Order: sequence, then structure tokens, then C-alpha cells
Amino acid sequence: MRKLIVIIFCLAFLAASLNATHATEKDIFIKSTIATLRTLDPARSYDDESRMKLENLYERLIHFDGPYTDRFAPVLATEVPSIENGGISKDGLTYTFKIRKGVKFHNGEIMTAEDVAYCLKRAMICDPDGGPNALLLEPVTGRGVTRDNDGKIIPGVFEKIDKAVLSKGDTVVIRLHKPFPPLLGIIAYTNCSIYPKKWAMENGCWDGNIKNAAKFNGPPNGKEPLHHIENGSGPYVMKEWKPSQKFVFERFDDYWGGKPNIRVGITQYIPEWTTRKLMFQNSDLDMIEVPPNYINEMESIKGIKIHKVPQLMVTCAMFCQKIDPTANPNIGSGKLDGDGIPPDFFSDYDVRAAFAHTIDFKALKEDACNNLIEIPSSPNIKGLPYSKDVKHPEFDLKKAADHMKKAWGGKAWEMGFKMVITFNTGRIVRETAAHMMAENIVSLNPKFDIEVRNVDWADYLVTFQQYKYPVFLIAWGADYPDPHNFLYNYLHSDGHYTRYSVYKNPEADRLVEEGIATVDPVRREQIYTRLQNIWNEDIVGVALAQRMVIRAYQDNIQGFIPNPLYSGAAEHFKTLTKQ
Amino acid sequence: MATFIVRRLLLMGLVLFGVSVLMFCILLTFSPERRAAAFVTSPQQARDIPKIIIQYGLDQPVYIQYYRWVKEISAGNFGYSTVAVSPVSEAFMRYLPITIEMNLFSTPLIIIIGIWLGTQAGIHKDKAIDQVTRIFAIIGWSLPTFLFALLLLMIFYGLFKLFPPGVLSNSVEMFIMNNPEQFIRYTGMYVVDGILNGRLDISLDALRHLVLPVVTQVTVVIAILVRVMRSSMIEEMSKDYIITARAKGADRKTTCFKHARKNALLPAVTVAGWLVALSIEGSVTVEVIFNRPGMGQWLVQSATQLDIPVILSVCMFLGLIYVTTNLIIDVLYAYIDPRIQLS
Repeated sequence: MRKLIVIIFCLAFLAASLNATHATEKDIFIKSTIATLRTLDPARSYDDESRMKLENLYERLIHFDGPYTDRFAPVLATEVPSIENGGISKDGLTYTFKIRKGVKFHNGEIMTAEDVAYCLKRAMICDPDGGPNALLLEPVTGRGVTRDNDGKIIPGVFEKIDKAVLSKGDTVVIRLHKPFPPLLGIIAYTNCSIYPKKWAMENGCWDGNIKNAAKFNGPPNGKEPLHHIENGSGPYVMKEWKPSQKFVFERFDDYWGGKPNIRVGITQYIPEWTTRKLMFQNSDLDMIEVPPNYINEMESIKGIKIHKVPQLMVTCAMFCQKIDPTANPNIGSGKLDGDGIPPDFFSDYDVRAAFAHTIDFKALKEDACNNLIEIPSSPNIKGLPYSKDVKHPEFDLKKAADHMKKAWGGKAWEMGFKMVITFNTGRIVRETAAHMMAENIVSLNPKFDIEVRNVDWADYLVTFQQYKYPVFLIAWGADYPDPHNFLYNYLHSDGHYTRYSVYKNPEADRLVEEGIATVDPVRREQIYTRLQNIWNEDIVGVALAQRMVIRAYQDNIQGFIPNPLYSGAAEHFKTLTKQ
Repeated sequence: MATFIVRRLLLMGLVLFGVSVLMFCILLTFSPERRAAAFVTSPQQARDIPKIIIQYGLDQPVYIQYYRWVKEISAGNFGYSTVAVSPVSEAFMRYLPITIEMNLFSTPLIIIIGIWLGTQAGIHKDKAIDQVTRIFAIIGWSLPTFLFALLLLMIFYGLFKLFPPGVLSNSVEMFIMNNPEQFIRYTGMYVVDGILNGRLDISLDALRHLVLPVVTQVTVVIAILVRVMRSSMIEEMSKDYIITARAKGADRKTTCFKHARKNALLPAVTVAGWLVALSIEGSVTVEVIFNRPGMGQWLVQSATQLDIPVILSVCMFLGLIYVTTNLIIDVLYAYIDPRIQLS
């Protein structure tokens, strides 16, 4: 009898095993993710994974038009404002959006202009640490913050916000502190997502009274009111969220923009590549993002489609011109005595030039990255307005040696030096470039000694901001598709990376500030061309790579629209169909 | 024995206090900036690190931070996990059942098979079964878990499409999601919940997803128990009382299984207890490769991302598990060997 039970159980188990389920249902789309969703609150969401979920749940006034980063399509607005249609005032200070009628939120409420104005204000008022709201605060209030570094609220900031965003009938008007040409790109960003005012207030968001704004400012991580709920007007509603596991979207039947083909969209967190790949091969997944080093094995698989999408993201090597010598193991003795480098070692142009000439871009692109990167000539990469292919330091070890011989009046060559270059773990471009610099510089003179070390990302992030790294290799991804977003951070003395490389050039500062305050495209082109040349003339850093995202789809999936602004986490289910 | 147990339970509080102070001191050796960096993912967000330090009081003296933490956990607030994107207590209830479910199958198998194989190898020292067991143990012990797990996955899922990774099939999950009233999650373990809900198909589906993780876990972990049991058995078999028992006419089966094995169990019980405690931590490799988001995956991600509330809470919890397991082992000692007095 016991044997019989065992046999029956085994047979049943085998039957269940053979009944393997696959993602073959035509209206279900399953993709894997390699990061976990952090929040659903548009006012906090600043990581790719969270933003890409919001793209399906919420909508903005306008959106990027298909594959374009410089063209917009109206979404919750009925038209994209421009100077020609009167939506943008001639001085570039006032933007007027006509609001679409009859749009339903997921809870059935109808969208009004008041909802739109409330959401834009609430994003800026909420302004949590680590959130994206500096993007909107900068053009609206003139400063990208609501609190100073001591956490105190900047006097008058909420009143400015209140006066800047107004709803009038079926329109919403945004008044800027100064002209800000990339504003439309910011309005298309997920922090400008629209939801019902009443619902938001019921769920603990700002109560609509500007006098109470401080109470709703800077909520701690995880305590933002819309952290785990949603009520957008997007084509999908949240069906289920299992943190660190799975997110399930379901088609919103009352969506104003028509019925999408995909009924259920699922994103599944699968950290291990082999597991993801096997699931994809077995059709348990419809889409996976492919790490560049696995491209060859994926290209040999039949029945799949691979999209290589260049990203608006640039990796650069930055030289710190004033290193903090306090207990700093990266600069050895801290003197130019053959056993270290002085804290201002990279303030010498020839040192920077020598290092810049040691990058073998061809090998970096072809050998290290399987041709899956573009080599940019400056941080204003392809896909951004006014991007130019400007002259930049080429791989030339003779030039590198010549510069090194001149550096520090010849003392660097005579005495030699010792230092450490660090990169953060798991980034092939940064690792290869660090090794190239180290090995090629060391090959110039036996007195040169460079050690390469890798550190964890969080440590890297903190330590470069403490001025501890002589060279730091880091990337910037677009918040909005405008040169300002990149060149401010790589060239302006207050920019996020320039600040920590302690680079200051009054001409660069002036041009960056003028560029963002100028509406005239001809003048902007002149400014950004000059800035790209300054980057290379001064050798502020070396632009190493513009990365590509590789997306693999099953052959029966149609409708993916590549856009350089969207990372591998992105998936607009609305456009997809499954045969 | 009751006095012994009560005294050990009281000491438990002291141990946990010690663990908390130790962990707190270790974690606070990281700079406030490094701890604040746990809240950011991109260079853009890193601009706000100084404000994050102020908001969470990360630059305050250690004793103030410790006091604040104790006050919070006394109120049942274990903090917020940035890795799990939820309060620690909620995340705990989500991850622990997934780990326990796997161990519900692997641990008894490890103990039963491990003790049986160790006993057989000890009894038949240098015979074929001993050699085979030793080879099996050496392979199990030396084989990298990730390699073995990947191999199983590639063969049984990639090639034969039999045992998929994950916890449940998508179709089953969709059913549960769409019919919450028809499937109540009593324990969070789908095999058990399937039975409790009268849905054997769901239990079988969960079981199907458990086959490869359990086989991996058993193969890799069993080696240590087999080796301990074998050594212990060989030692007992060579003792005088066994020879005397055989001389007095006791048959081999009785001497081996009634006399020797019982005494040989003592070290094996220690190892088995340790394995049970260890299994609560979850096996990171098994969980990652078979895509089972359990305690191991959570703990490792939390450690690498410096998710301090999780590290502290989980360490306290594991401290509790280890202390309790040790207590149970001590009680079991007295039960197995009556000469051991608990006082």
C-alpha cells in the first residue's frame, strides 16, 4: 500500500512537472528586471526601475514622441506648447498647457486642470532627499532645493512655488524664474506625473494649503504617502506588487487612449543572468536585458530579436585637481618624491594631457566592449542637441611621454610618482580605462607606479565626494535631453562632478549659465560647441563611452520603440503586441 | 532540567544585548556618509547625502543612535528596509517562509540521509559503501554550490524543461492573485498553504519549483554530517563496550544500531543543530540561482548595500535562533545520553 501511494505521488508529481507553463498567452507580457522597485511615489522616484513602472501607471502633460528625444507628443495636454502656438511666451518665461478633457484616473475620477497644478506643486513641495524634484525646482524657483544643507526650509520657497503654477479653466500655466529651454523635457519626466488632488490629499499628501507646505516637505525614505499605491491615468493599473519579486500590471479598461493589446504586464526580478537566460530560452520570459559581455551567446540564439539602443549616458574619467591628503592611501606620501603625488598633481595641464593620451579607444570599444559603446568626443554625446564631433585627445603614448616630461617642470619625470586609480566594481568600461591609464603611464617610465583598485559602488560614491580619488571614473545619465544636464555637471565649477574635480574656468561657468538662460537655438549652438571644445582644450576629464542597452525580445513580440532616454528597465506595454 | 532551561532563557537576553551592542559598534565604524549612501542609487541622488545624514541623525554620538534604535524596537518598529522596500518586520514575514519552505524539505533529508549514510560508512569502514559515501561527501563538500546549482538548472530546466526556477508558475500565481478569496495564505509556504486550502495542484506546483533547490542544498550540505557521523561511528564501534556486547552474544545489528549509533549521535546532533540554525539564514547561492527570494538573498543584499535596520534585526534574530538551537541541543544531549546531567 505504501509503495502504491509513493508511486501515485511520483506519477502525479511528474505529470505536474511535464505540465510546464510558459508565457505563451498572447495578452500577457513578462520581462525580467535586474533591479528592484523602490517607490511608486512620483515625487520620490528617481531610479530607473521605479520611473519605468510609473511610465505605465501615470501620465504627464507631454511625452517624448516615439524614438525622439527632441520631439514631444501631447498626452494629458491637448498640444505641445510652443512659441508658434502661443503656449510658450516669447520671453520663454511662461508655459501654458491646455488640458485634455474626459481623462479618467484609475479610481474613476475625471482629471481637471486643478489636479495638474496640484501635482506639479506637490512634487516640488514634497521634495524628498534623493528625489528628482530639483529638476523642476531649478527653473521654477531659481534654486534646485527647498531645504539648505542643514535641512532648514529656504524662506519663501513654497510661496514662489504656489505663485508659479496656476490653473485657469482648462489650462495650467507655469511661470519660470528665468528662461529654461529644456523645460518640456522636465515636464515629460515622471516626477511631473498627474493624479487626482482629492485622492492624494486623502492619502496623506500635501493638503493644498501653501501655509502647511512645510509639514509635507522632505518625508523620510519609505514614508512618502504614495509609496505603495497608485492612481494615475496611465494605460495600466497596479494589480500586485511583491517587493523584490514581482510587479503585475493590468490593462486599465477606461483608458482614454484606446485599448492596449497586452492585458497583463509582469516584471520579474531575476538577479542571476543564467537563470534569466534559461527562462527566456524556455519562453517563460518575453524580454530580457543582455549584459554586453553575453551578446555573442545571445546572437547565436534563433527566434529572438535583439535591439541595441544607445543611451543618453556618458562615462568619463575625471581628474581631481585638489585631492584631500588626509589619511589618503591613494596618493602615497602626498609629495612628488617618487613615493606619492602632491594633492594638486592633476592641476598641471601636462599631467592631465598625458593621462588622456593613454586611453586606447579602439581597444576599449572593440575588444573590451564588443563594439557596444560609442566613443564620444565630449560629455555632450550623440542624441543630445548641439552635439558635435570635436577634436579630442587620441591614443598616443609618445605624446603622453612628451607631456609627462614637461609636467611639474620635468620633476614628475625625474622623480617618478606613485598613486592609486580606483573604479567601482562591475563596470567594464571603467575597469578597462583604469587599467589602460595605469599600464600605459607606467610603461612610459620605470619610476611611475600606479595601482588599480576596485571598490563597491556606494563606497565609490561617497569617497569621490570627499576628494579622495586622484582620478574618478563615473557616468552621468540624462534627466532630460539637453546639453545643460551634462555640461553643467562636467564643466561648471558648481557641477556635480566638476565640483569634486575642483576645476574652475570662468569662461566655462559663464557659458554654461548663458546656455541655459538662452532661448535662441543659434546662440545655444555656439555656446555648446565652445563648451565641448573647452572640455578637450582644458582636459577637464576624458569622455570614455556612451553605453548601449541590449534588449532581447521573443520573435513574436512587436511594437518596441527604442528611445535613448529609456534604460533596460523601461517597457511601455501599451505599444507592444504579441503574435 | 527546568532550572537549567530557565537560566539559559534568562541568559539569552544578555546574549542578545551583547549581539546588538557588537553589531551596532561594527556598523557605526562606517562613516555617516557611507551609511547615508545606502539611501541613494545614482550620482544625481548623491547630492542629497548631507541632508540624509541630518534627517536620520547619522552623525549623532553612538549612544544616542543606539538609544534611539532600542526605543524604536521596543515599540515594535524594526526600521525600514531600503532593499526590501518595506518595514523590516513586513519583509521578514515575506522572506522567511520562502526559506523555511525550502528547509522544511532539505533539513530532514539532510539529517536522515546524512545520519544513515554516515552510519553505514562507519559500520562498513573501507568497504565499497564507505568508499562511495566518502567520494560523495568529498564531492558534495568541495563542489562549488553555484556550479552544481547551475548544472542542475541547465539540465533539468534548460534541457528537459522539468523543474523551473522561482516559487510558483506564473499561471498559478495569476490564479492566486485573481482569486484571493479562494486561496488564503496561512503560512506563506505554498506547499503547506496549498494543502490547507485543499488545492493540491498548487502544492504540487510549489513542490516542482522546490526539487532542484532542495537537491542542491541536500547534496552540498549533507557532506559534513556524513563525515562527522562516520568518524563518530567508527570511534564507537572500536570501543570496549561494543566488543563486550558482541562477546556476550549480541548480534551485529543490535550493537551497531542500538548501542553504537545512539552514542555516536552526540556529535552528529551538534552538527545537525548547527545546520538547522544555519538553514534559517538561507542559502544565498541556491536562492539566487533558483530565483527564490528568501532570507539569504535579502541578507546578502542588505549587507552589501548597508541596509542597517535589516542587518541589526536579522543578526538579533539569528542570535536568538542560535541560542535556542544550542539550548535544544543541550536538552537533546541529556535525552540521548542519560549520563549527561543538566544543572
